[in-house]
Amino acid sequence: MTETYVVKPDADFIHRIIDGGGGDLKQCFQCATCSVACELAEGQSRPFPRKEMIWAQWGLKDRLIADPDIWQCHQCNDCSTKCPRGARPGDVLNAVRQEAVQHYAVPGFLGRMIGKGNIVPLLLLPVILLTLALVLRDQLWDSGQGVLMYLHHEGFYADLFPHWLLIGFYSFFWGLAMVGGVVGAARFWQAMKGADRAAGWEAPSTSVMSSWVRTIKSILAHDRFSKCTSQAGRRRAHQGAFYGFLVLFLVSVWAVIALYMINPFIPGHDQDLIYPFAIWNPVKWIANIGGIILVAGCLMAIRDRKSGEKDAPASSSFDWLFLYLLLIVGVTGLLTEVLRYVAEPSGAEGLVYAAYAVYFVHLVAVFDLLVYLPYSKLAHVLYRTVALVYAEHSGRNQKSLEPST
Amino acid sequence: MTNTEKKVSVWICQGCDIGESLDVDALETLATGDCGADQCSCHSYLCGDEGVELIKKDIEEGANALVIAACSPRFNTDTFEFDGVLTERVNLREQVVWSHPADDEDTQMMAEDYLRMGVVKAQKANIPTPLETEVDKTIMVVGGGQSGMTAALEAAGAGYEVVLVEKEDQLGGNLRKFSKLFPKKPPYNQPVPVDIDSKIADIEASERIKVHLGAAIQKIAGQPGQFDVTLQNGTTEEFRVGAIVQATGWKPYDASKLGHLGSECPDVVTNVQMEEMIASGQINRLSDGKPAQKIAFIQCAGSRDKEHLPYCSGVCCRVTLKQAMLARELNGESQAYVLYKDIRAPGQYEDFYRAAQEDPGIFFTKGEVTGVKDAGGGNLVVDMEDTLLGDKIQIEADLVVLATGMVPVAADGEALRQFQDAQGIVEKGEAGAQLENAKQTVEDLKDLEGTEILNLDYRQGPDLPGLKYEFPDSHFICFPYETRRTGIYAAGCVRAPNDADACREDATGATMKAIQCVELTARGSAVHPRWGDETYPDFAMQRCTSCKRCTEECPFGTLNEDEKGTPEPISLARCRRCGICLGACPERIISFENYSIDIVSSMIKAVEIPDEFEDKPRLLGLLCENDAYPALDTAGLNRLQHSAWIRFIPVRCLGSVNVVWIADALSRGYDGILLVGCKSGDDYQCHFIRGSELMGTRGDNIKEKLTQLALEEERVRVEQVEISDSGKLVEIINEFSEQIEDIGMNPFKEF
Repeated sequence: MTETYVVKPDADFIHRIIDGGGGDLKQCFQCATCSVACELAEGQSRPFPRKEMIWAQWGLKDRLIADPDIWQCHQCNDCSTKCPRGARPGDVLNAVRQEAVQHYAVPGFLGRMIGKGNIVPLLLLPVILLTLALVLRDQLWDSGQGVLMYLHHEGFYADLFPHWLLIGFYSFFWGLAMVGGVVGAARFWQAMKGADRAAGWEAPSTSVMSSWVRTIKSILAHDRFSKCTSQAGRRRAHQGAFYGFLVLFLVSVWAVIALYMINPFIPGHDQDLIYPFAIWNPVKWIANIGGIILVAGCLMAIRDRKSGEKDAPASSSFDWLFLYLLLIVGVTGLLTEVLRYVAEPSGAEGLVYAAYAVYFVHLVAVFDLLVYLPYSKLAHVLYRTVALVYAEHSGRNQKSLEPST
Repeated sequence: MTNTEKKVSVWICQGCDIGESLDVDALETLATGDCGADQCSCHSYLCGDEGVELIKKDIEEGANALVIAACSPRFNTDTFEFDGVLTERVNLREQVVWSHPADDEDTQMMAEDYLRMGVVKAQKANIPTPLETEVDKTIMVVGGGQSGMTAALEAAGAGYEVVLVEKEDQLGGNLRKFSKLFPKKPPYNQPVPVDIDSKIADIEASERIKVHLGAAIQKIAGQPGQFDVTLQNGTTEEFRVGAIVQATGWKPYDASKLGHLGSECPDVVTNVQMEEMIASGQINRLSDGKPAQKIAFIQCAGSRDKEHLPYCSGVCCRVTLKQAMLARELNGESQAYVLYKDIRAPGQYEDFYRAAQEDPGIFFTKGEVTGVKDAGGGNLVVDMEDTLLGDKIQIEADLVVLATGMVPVAADGEALRQFQDAQGIVEKGEAGAQLENAKQTVEDLKDLEGTEILNLDYRQGPDLPGLKYEFPDSHFICFPYETRRTGIYAAGCVRAPNDADACREDATGATMKAIQCVELTARGSAVHPRWGDETYPDFAMQRCTSCKRCTEECPFGTLNEDEKGTPEPISLARCRRCGICLGACPERIISFENYSIDIVSSMIKAVEIPDEFEDKPRLLGLLCENDAYPALDTAGLNRLQHSAWIRFIPVRCLGSVNVVWIADALSRGYDGILLVGCKSGDDYQCHFIRGSELMGTRGDNIKEKLTQLALEEERVRVEQVEISDSGKLVEIINEFSEQIEDIGMNPFKEF
């Protein structure tokens, strides 16, 4: 038995969806063309995005944020192009996702600041924190020689930020953020379960563990994204950014492992032989390829969003912030490397300072990207994954499982 | 003109395949021989100039009754019409040569039979003398709202004197209560102001329009062209008008019957009350006077509901869209919830719907509202099922607006008559079962007392009969505005639920009908649908037994009765010349100059019936000339072949078929009789409303009679077709013909 649901329209929520790119949501008259157009909704007994459209019209935030289906959508706009009323369900769901990220953010103020585009102080925070770290290191360990004294010694970039400082700094802040992210994701999981229980859905069909395995496989293959036909190019762009990001993330992790867990146990090898990786090192190759496809993916995504085509996704500051940040991380990363190879042999003062400046920007951008992950659009890494696992677990994409009412 | 003076002249056309398919010489011989026509000629192209000249010459030489054996009477009608001459058409083209094989014995027999019938009819029929009526062409409009005022202005604009009667003390009607209307022109996206004052000013400025305010109609007696009206507004006033437009408008459905929608709660209001609140500029709750913040509109409140109004009023959706927009305009903090079954915003009003949807403070969901409850603390809760939101929901509101539908402001004349008759019986106090029945009727219908509007002095009741859903209209496509009282036309919401713009159009249409009525009545012709028909029923009163079947069965209330209860055929301008009275009369005393018991009987008997041993059955087909006859013509045009055994006679209406014709046909030796009329029922297409329905009832009596005669009841069949059913009609004919062949010959043939 389903409970009677008391409808309480949240007018503010509707306004936020409209401002977040879902400006046409009120046009929907529930014909369900969107749900027929969407390949991903096929087989669902209560397919999206139709139901989400009326929830959004009525400002039913509680339902939307507990809905895994909003995260099944890739905003390919197959639905928006076919909508007879121009209600653009794909863009509405994008705006709803933004609201969901904000809702589950821990601490909440970070979510609200990023969600509202109040980002300048946040972006500048790492500048202060990194400068503070440099000054502290100088004062506490190197007896106050002055920060600029570290520039251009043998170890180049590592002279400014030694590995222990860099790894310690990022681990600390990213760790804190990820605690918030995991708590948010857990709350989301509970909300989805609660909503299904209230709606009287069948008991889950697939174990959580195998749902995780299937979901990860599916994400790696991008097989769901490839069902989106209207903007097939966006899948390639996403694949570029996704694999580029993943490769760079893994390489960075590998570097830490190599530095602290392997290197000390190899006799006769000191730190300099490991870092920086030599140009012939396959890890370096992989990292460079990762950087290039990340930048390429970002550029393609920007081009798609700016195309002005009917099926181009509506983009808010939330989308642009993430995309440009990712691009800056990629570009400054590659530039940092190039400048090292140029500046180190030549020793030209101007080039060296330029190299350090780019490196500093890169570090700031990496902080913004990683530490604000649970509050920015990158949070979809968490929420989409959790939603897809839940969808798999609860069997909502299988026709055979109807609500028990 | 009597038969002795008549010179019947037959003209046979040989064009359009007739000459090639038939033995025309044999037809000629028959015409002047057995048929007894005075003359017969042939021409290869009769409707051409030469042919027509020849006929004219013939007329100059004394022919005064023509039998044109050529195409269907539906073609070349004007060509073969000559002043002072009776023209009878024999349909050799569509119903003989185009629908039967050429050079065939049976086809030839058929042509000969039709010629016999045509000549007999020409011999028996007479040229009509038009009814003389002294006509007052003033048009009276009842009701001074949008429709009534438009009707008055239209009639005055066309040069007619107008009397406008309004029961209220001012003109304007329901529109007075409205602050704004939904838009009438592009871009159709916001409500527009009501402009009723300029119309009132036009009425007041018109010299032709005489307005009576605060007036009630005490009595209307007479007939089209001569309606004598008695008006009561303080003093009694009497005057004569020629035709009447009834534009008495609408009222909202009685919300007190909608208890399940919380109608007893003070904060549950109708859309009309809401309209008044909006006009006042403040939407406050009636219970505590606080401004309403959450307004729920319940669509189809009592509409499209078998328990209440089964129909859709067609305007409530747009009214709600408008009211939601206006409520939001008055209070930007408020929210409006529209709970609908279907949003009906036809045509360009889709844009209006979209404009309402765009407002983030107006919410829509489809579903069934199951109840409205008072949740205490000034809150109402609306329960809904089957919503687009997926399940049972509750919506909290502080004001609920019931979008109630439109009910015509009309009185059901026929029900009122029943009530009055029953009241008479009760007053007289006659004993027996009749008294008990009458008491019951009085009890059942007592709510009707005092609802009279027109107070017609008609035997069939003081007001227009209600048709589908009690709207006093006629068939909405075929005969709009024509009520069942000739000379009285319904316009606006009393005819059908309409918006203000449609009322304006409606009023124009009804006024045209009223003008048509006074003009045609002045010429002594039928008004509609047989406009131009100058015949009228003649009652041989000395043989009348006062059975009153003619009074009862006339769909148009033509006949009143004198004190002794005998029908009084004096108000014949009310008559539409359908002949239903002729069909009803057991004494067979009613006749028209060219349509009577004798004429049709003689035509039936004119057909040559082959004897049993020839194996050629004969069937009689009585076809309604409005739909069935044209359908058969169309079948001929398409060369659809029908049975050669059948002989058709067109009738004015299936209701005009007198049972004696069937008896005559059976005793004459016909093997079967097919009666084809128009569609009856709620969406009837019968041009005279009840004709085919009455035939259905008489058909039952006929079957009884057949059984008494030991004949198979299948020998008489009643069918209904639409004008587009030519293929179906041919199938019916052929199937009936085969069935009769199976049953075998009529045993009365030999007698």
